[in-house]
Amino acid sequence: MLFSSITFLYFFLPVVLLLYFLAPRRLKNTVLLLASLVFYAYGEPRLVVLMLASVLSGYVHGLLIERFRGKRLGRVFLVSSICFSLAPLLVFKYADFFLTNLNALGASLPLLKLALPIGISFYTFQILSYTVDVARGTTKAQRNIIDLATYIALFPQLIAGPIVRYTDVEAALRTRTHSTEAVGDGALRFSIGLGKKVLLANLLGELCAALKAAEPSVLGSWGYAVSLCLQIYFDFSGYSDMAIGLGTMLGFRFPENFNYPFIAKSATEFWRRWHMTLGSWFRDYVYIPLGGSRVGAWKHVRNILIVWCLTGFWHGASWNFIAWGLFFGVLLIAEKLFFGRWLERAPRALQHVYLLLAALISFLIFDAATLADAGKAIAGLFGGAPFTNAQGLYSLSSYFVVLVLAAFGATPLPKMLFTRFAATPVGEKLTPILSLLFMAALLLVSTAYLVDGSFNPFLYFRF
Amino acid sequence: MNDKLKNRILCAAFVFIIAGGFALHLLMPDKALSISERRKLAQAPSISLTSMLSGKFSTAFDDYVLDQFPGRDSFRTLKAIVQYYMLRQKDNNGIFLAEGNIGKLEYPLSESSVLRAAQKICSLREQYFPDANVYLSLVPDKSYFLAAQNGYPALDYEKMLDLLQKNTEGVTYIDIFDTLSADKYYTTDAHWRQECLHDTALRLAEGLGVEDAFAWDYEAHTLPDFYGVYYGQAALPFPPDTLTYLTSATTDGAQVYNIETQGTTSVYDLGKLTDGKSMDMYDVFLSGAAAVLTVTNPNASEAAKGRELILFRDSFGSSIAPLLLDCYETITLVDIRYIASEFLSQYVDFHGQDVLFLYSTTIINNSAMLK
Repeated sequence: MLFSSITFLYFFLPVVLLLYFLAPRRLKNTVLLLASLVFYAYGEPRLVVLMLASVLSGYVHGLLIERFRGKRLGRVFLVSSICFSLAPLLVFKYADFFLTNLNALGASLPLLKLALPIGISFYTFQILSYTVDVARGTTKAQRNIIDLATYIALFPQLIAGPIVRYTDVEAALRTRTHSTEAVGDGALRFSIGLGKKVLLANLLGELCAALKAAEPSVLGSWGYAVSLCLQIYFDFSGYSDMAIGLGTMLGFRFPENFNYPFIAKSATEFWRRWHMTLGSWFRDYVYIPLGGSRVGAWKHVRNILIVWCLTGFWHGASWNFIAWGLFFGVLLIAEKLFFGRWLERAPRALQHVYLLLAALISFLIFDAATLADAGKAIAGLFGGAPFTNAQGLYSLSSYFVVLVLAAFGATPLPKMLFTRFAATPVGEKLTPILSLLFMAALLLVSTAYLVDGSFNPFLYFRF
Repeated sequence: MNDKLKNRILCAAFVFIIAGGFALHLLMPDKALSISERRKLAQAPSISLTSMLSGKFSTAFDDYVLDQFPGRDSFRTLKAIVQYYMLRQKDNNGIFLAEGNIGKLEYPLSESSVLRAAQKICSLREQYFPDANVYLSLVPDKSYFLAAQNGYPALDYEKMLDLLQKNTEGVTYIDIFDTLSADKYYTTDAHWRQECLHDTALRLAEGLGVEDAFAWDYEAHTLPDFYGVYYGQAALPFPPDTLTYLTSATTDGAQVYNIETQGTTSVYDLGKLTDGKSMDMYDVFLSGAAAVLTVTNPNASEAAKGRELILFRDSFGSSIAPLLLDCYETITLVDIRYIASEFLSQYVDFHGQDVLFLYSTTIINNSAMLK
C-alpha cells in the first residue's frame, strides 16, 4: 500500500488511528503490528511470510547473540544472523544480477525471475543493525517478539525508510507518550510529505517522461537532468516526511533522512544531507568496522570504495547503480585526497556549481537502464543534438512554475521565511490559521491529484 | 502555547478530513457511470482468499475507491484549476484551452500508424473492391486549427497527408481541410457541428462526382446542454454547447438498418437522449457507434437512384452521412473499429459501389484501433 493512495489516506489511516488510540496501552504495539501486516500484505500478500520469517530469525538470533555475547558461539550466531538476514536479499534482489553476469561470461544458468519483496532492503538493514547492536552490547535483546516485530514491520517506515535503528525506538517501543499536539505536528509533517510526493515529484516525473519521449535537444537534456534530480529528491524526501509524520502521530521519533542536500558545497557534504540514515548505517556497520579512516591511505581508499560500491548496489541490482555509488566514492576520495582543500577555498558559487553538476550527472547514471544509456544521457548535456526543439520547449514552459517551485522548495528558504514570519507579532497570531490552511490545502489538492490520476508509484518503493 | 494550539487545530482538521472522507465513502451510494468521463465506474470488488492472495483484490479495491471517491468530479475540477491557473501548466491530461475552445493534444506524428492505416486501406481495397472508385478524405482534428497557433505542439499534418497519399496509390484524395475552421467544431467536444458542414459536404459530393444531386434544404433542430467529451476531460466549468441536427424530407424518409441489432431506426435517434444507456448526446446522429449501418433513401432523386456508397468511417461520419443522403440511394457505413475487416464480407455486399474512407487525423495517428 502506498501512502499517497486514496486507500491509505481515507481507509487504512483513519481506521488504524481509531483502533490505535482506542486500544489500551499494553495492546498498542499489537494493534500497530497487525496494522503493519495488513499494510504489507495489501501489496505483497504472499511475501509477508518472508518478512515474518526474517523477524523470527532476528528475534531468535538476538536472544542467542546476547546469551553468548563475548564467546565464540556469540560470534557464530552473529555470522549466522547476518547470513540469515542477507540470504533473502541475495536471493530475491541480487541472484538474477549475478546469474546474468555469469551467463555473460559463458555460463548458461536459468534466471530465478523472483518478484522483489517490497521494502526488503530496508527491513533487512534494520534487522542487521539490531543483531549487530546486540552483539556489540549497545542494546539489549528484545524478549517480547511482538515489540521486535512491531519495530521491524512498523508500517510508517517499512517499505521506504528512513532506516530506523532499533536503538532509535527501543525506549518508545516500551513506553511512549501520545497527545493531540503530536498528532497535529505529525499530520502537518505528513501532509508536507504528501504534497512533495504528489504535487512536485509526480509532476516532475511527468516532465521527465515528456522530455524523454521528445526528440533529443541540449536544453531538453538539461531540463531532464534537473527535473530528474528534483523528482528523486521530492519523491524520497516526501516519503521520509510522511514516515516521520506518521511516526510522530504514533508517539515515535524517527531520524531525519534529508537536510536540503542540494545546498551542499561538496560531495562529502551532499552525503551528510542525502539519505542520511543509509549513509550513517554504512558508516557504522561497514566503514568503521573496516577501519574507516584510521588506516593507511590505500586501505582508506579501499574502505571508501567498498562502502560506495555497496551503497550503489543497495539501491539496485544493476551495474548502473554500482557505477552511481562508485561515482560518489571516487568524488569523495578525490575531495579527501586531492582538491577538497582547494574546493573549500573556492568561491561559494563555484562550490555549489560543482556539487550540482556532480549531482545531475550522478542521477543520470542512477536513472539509466544501462551504462551505455547513462553515457548517452550525460553526453546529451554537452551537444550532439539541436540546442532546442518545439516539444522540449513546450514541456519545459508547461512545467516552468513546477520547476521553479521545486527548486525553491529544495532550499531551506521557504522554511526560513516562514519561521521568520512566525516570529513576528502578526505571524505569531496567524501561524495556527496559516498552518491549518496550508495543511488542508496540501491534503485536499493532493487528494484531487490522486483522484484524477491512476498510476502513482514511488521511486524508492522497490529498494 | 501557540504551538500547542496550532497542533491541536491541525490534529482536529486532519482527523476531520481523513475521517470525513472515510465516512462519506461509506455513506454515499456507489455510482454506476461517470457521465463526464463517458465510462462505467469500478464497483466494490468481492473478497475471496484467491483474490486476496493474488493481489487482484487490492488492485480492484484501489480502482474502486478512486472511482467512487466522494465528490470525485469536484476534486477533478480542483485539480484542473490548480494545474491551469496556479501551476500555469498548458494542458491537463492533454486537454488544453485556446480561443474559448477545448482541444486535445495530438502529437507527435506516428509515421508507423499512418503507414498502417494506408496499408489497411490498400488491403481492404484489394480484398473487397479492387475495381471500385475509392476515395479518401481526412477530417482534421480540432488541434489543426488551435494547437500550433496557440503555442501547443501539433501533428505534422502535411507529412501525414503526404505519407497517406504516397501509400494509397489509386485512391483519390478529397481535401476538406480548407472547408473547416475551429468554430465549425463543438466547443466542448471533438466533433464537428453538422449545421456548419455545407461546404464540407459539398466538397465531398464534388469529389465523389455526385454533386448533381446535392441539396441543402434542411430544417435545424436544437438540443441544448450538450456537454461534449472534452468537457468531462477538462473538468472545468465551461458553458455547454447546443447540438443542432438537420432534417429534410430525405432524412425523415430514410431508414437505418443496424446489422448488429438487426433493427431499423431513423437517421436521428432521439431515443438516445432518454434511453439511460447513452452517455453522449452526439449519439443522436445515426444512434452512435455501430459496426455496420445501411441507410436507405426511398425518396432518392432520379440523379441519385442506383447510386451506392460504402463509407468507411469513424464517429465524424455519423453526422455528415445524412448530408450526403440526397446524393445516394444507399449509404453503408462501416466502422472497422468495431468489426474485424476479415468478417466484412459476411455483412456487406461489395458490388462495385463507390467507396469513401473518411477518417479523422486522430484515428490515422492511432490506427491500431482499426481492425
